Amino acid sequence: MIQKKNGKETLIDIFLIIIITALIGTLLIVMCGAKPLAAYSLFFHGIFGNISSFSEIFVKACPLILTGLGCAVAFRTGFFNIGAEGQFYVGAMVTTMAALKLTMVPGILRMVLALLAGFLAGGLWALIAAVFKAKFNISEIIVTIMLNYIAINFLGYAVRSFLMDPEGNVPQSAKIDPSVQLTTLIKSTRFHTGILIAVGCVLLVWFLMEKTTIGYELRAVGINQRASACTGISVMKNIVFSAFLSGGLAALAGGIEVLAIQKKLLEGISAGCGYTAVLIALVAFNNPLGVLATAVLYATMQVGASSMQRQLGVPSAIVNILMGVVVILILGKEVFHMRGRRRILTDQKGEK
Amino acid sequence: MPLLEMKHICKAFSGVYANENISLTVEKGEIHALLGENGAGKTTLVNILFGLYTADKGEIYWKEQPVHFSSPKEAIDTGIGMVQQHFSLVRKMTVLDNVILNLRGNGFMLNRAAAKKRLAELAEKYQLYVDPDAKVCDLSVGEQQRVEILKALYRNVELLILDEPTGVLTPQETEQFFEVLRSLKKEGYGIIIITHRMSEIMSISDKVTILRDGKQVADLVTAQTNPDELSHYMIGRALSGEMVLEGQPKDEDILYLEHISLEKRHRGKHLEPLDLHIRKGEILGIAGVEGNGQKELAEVITGIQKHTGGKIWLDGKEISHQSIYERYESGVSYISEDRQKDSLVTGMSITENLILRDYRKKPFSKGILTNRNAIMQNAAKKMKEYQVRASGRSGADTPVRLLSGGNQQKLIIARELSEQAKVIVASQPTRGLDIGATEFVRSQLVAQRNEGKGVLLISADLEEIMAVSDRIAVLFGGRIVGILNREEATVQKIGLLMGGITGEEIEKQ
Repeated sequence: MIQKKNGKETLIDIFLIIIITALIGTLLIVMCGAKPLAAYSLFFHGIFGNISSFSEIFVKACPLILTGLGCAVAFRTGFFNIGAEGQFYVGAMVTTMAALKLTMVPGILRMVLALLAGFLAGGLWALIAAVFKAKFNISEIIVTIMLNYIAINFLGYAVRSFLMDPEGNVPQSAKIDPSVQLTTLIKSTRFHTGILIAVGCVLLVWFLMEKTTIGYELRAVGINQRASACTGISVMKNIVFSAFLSGGLAALAGGIEVLAIQKKLLEGISAGCGYTAVLIALVAFNNPLGVLATAVLYATMQVGASSMQRQLGVPSAIVNILMGVVVILILGKEVFHMRGRRRILTDQKGEK
Repeated sequence: MPLLEMKHICKAFSGVYANENISLTVEKGEIHALLGENGAGKTTLVNILFGLYTADKGEIYWKEQPVHFSSPKEAIDTGIGMVQQHFSLVRKMTVLDNVILNLRGNGFMLNRAAAKKRLAELAEKYQLYVDPDAKVCDLSVGEQQRVEILKALYRNVELLILDEPTGVLTPQETEQFFEVLRSLKKEGYGIIIITHRMSEIMSISDKVTILRDGKQVADLVTAQTNPDELSHYMIGRALSGEMVLEGQPKDEDILYLEHISLEKRHRGKHLEPLDLHIRKGEILGIAGVEGNGQKELAEVITGIQKHTGGKIWLDGKEISHQSIYERYESGVSYISEDRQKDSLVTGMSITENLILRDYRKKPFSKGILTNRNAIMQNAAKKMKEYQVRASGRSGADTPVRLLSGGNQQKLIIARELSEQAKVIVASQPTRGLDIGATEFVRSQLVAQRNEGKGVLLISADLEEIMAVSDRIAVLFGGRIVGILNREEATVQKIGLLMGGITGEEIEKQ
């Protein structure tokens, strides 16, 4: 999907998008009765004010990076996985279970096992949709969305029954033993090891896609399934693999969120990042490094906006509105450029 | 008074002239042929006339009045109809509904009864019989073409443009079709017919305009010219001569299809049980009207579709149960009919497409890692050897979708004609290519043959098949209806076979 255009054109595009977004943001701030300058100053103060709020960016970005990466991998192979949210929940659930129940395994090893179990479960969860697609030709978009509902509600069921904290009466699991939790790396912040895992995954996936025969196959299948099949690549194998990897990455995000931030399982734990992930992958053109950058940028905006909300009462929902605007502008820009290109193409065809 | 005059038409696409100063006059009751190679600018010219393109320069006069069309609808309303190479019919609708679709004067309620009556009259008058209640998708290609013509006549056009109308017809169907054209001519219709077949021009047209590289190179009266002159103008240079088929094929089979059949659930038989063998050092041509099992035959051999009965032998080894990849490894190479859909990942670069078959193997991979150096070297070598030209600065990294058809085809050939290939299945390998690329592709196939490999050449172009095949098999309705040796093959014999008349029946006649 990445189009190599001349750099100047791209820069102008980015500049325009920033201007339009900033204008709409300003308008929204004014509309709720705040002074734009004060709001923006708080916005940036919230981000760069101190180390703790600065590190919040990465805390917020971590699940977005992993789920976004998951979506990007799937999209690149032509598997439209809209189920990162559900896979996130499955990962969170299975990781919690393993972390709570595998008491015979000591600390760090149990943590690793719990994350791997979550990864595996999320991968298998996504695989359901892949099998439906491959065997019965049912749209993976619909199946993954349906699987989201099942996973989300099953978590609600779990924290009220077999995973409910026996000593409490709120719908949440027992607290996870500190020895199994992901460690905090910087004192008095929430900057945790999971963030490094996420960045590691980005680099691994980038390497896989660009430098290995596995990635070559995945990309070929993603661009032209028919030609891949006709030249002897197994389309089914690649779709299954990419679905598994994609689901696993989203689930890993869930596992990390439990072991590093919440330290227990509860409802609404994803904060919708599985849906945001789709946007992030889109904006990043399914490029792993682009996902990293986009997720961090998005998290930055969130952190800044929540500071505005705390101090000025400007709703942080603004960020989500602006994110929507950015996506539409980027997609609109693509359509705009594409139309120009398509016209040239049809003209050339006509020539023949 | 001329019916139509186009004067000094110019049209350029991204700086290259597709039409350069072209003028064309058509009288009432005249059949005017437009002759030229692929890419000569014929289709561009009629698309301008039909309102699909706008000319950069030049005027169009209809009955001496200047006209300007910005859409096909305006052209039709004026009185110009066009039957395009790829029909524009709604396949799931009936013939009648297709004819009255989007018609001026259709009220909120359709008056089908009246339309049917008028359609029947038209069909009767010009012997264009089709069942008005049949669905278009159930019709043969020839019948669909009749529907297209009826559609135009129903709209009271006075000039009919026919873009390569005979490409999908057998020689006999073509003759019938020409009868229709002659009766239209008698009624005073003007007809522009696009073709690159000399014999058809000689038999049907009154005048010929020849285009080459977007320029008008000759205007001739058909009665005063001959095919040699026409081809001289059309090609502009002598062909590099006949392909040389060196020696005789060996008496040893390289590929043997034993009772191969293909049946699809609910969709009937696509290939009747058929036996076919290709010898070492032989080109076996497969002739036939498109859609009679050619694609299925190619895909069954390459493993893309699984045959439902019979066995396939390659060089004495059974390959029936091998996957697509295993068959390639065993020696089955494939030049597919639809380059962009079946053979290329057009979003990837030339380098990456060149290793689509071999990326798993050394030196292109080391374990699971790809070896960029080897891949680049391979691309440089193949591009030079097979004259693949990439436009622009990116060179070998150019995405394949930016290459011309000829270069895309050369790329596929560079990839598929590997050392290990024993049989090359080539489906419509020169379709849409210019003369130079066509000759290159044919000479590559002949070279493979002369090296002792087997070539299965499937082509809709009878001249191509007759030029390079050692033997010619004709497919009709999923059956081989006849196999002719090079010496005994004539257009007449093949034509009859293409229409489903078997060898014995020819004998009887």
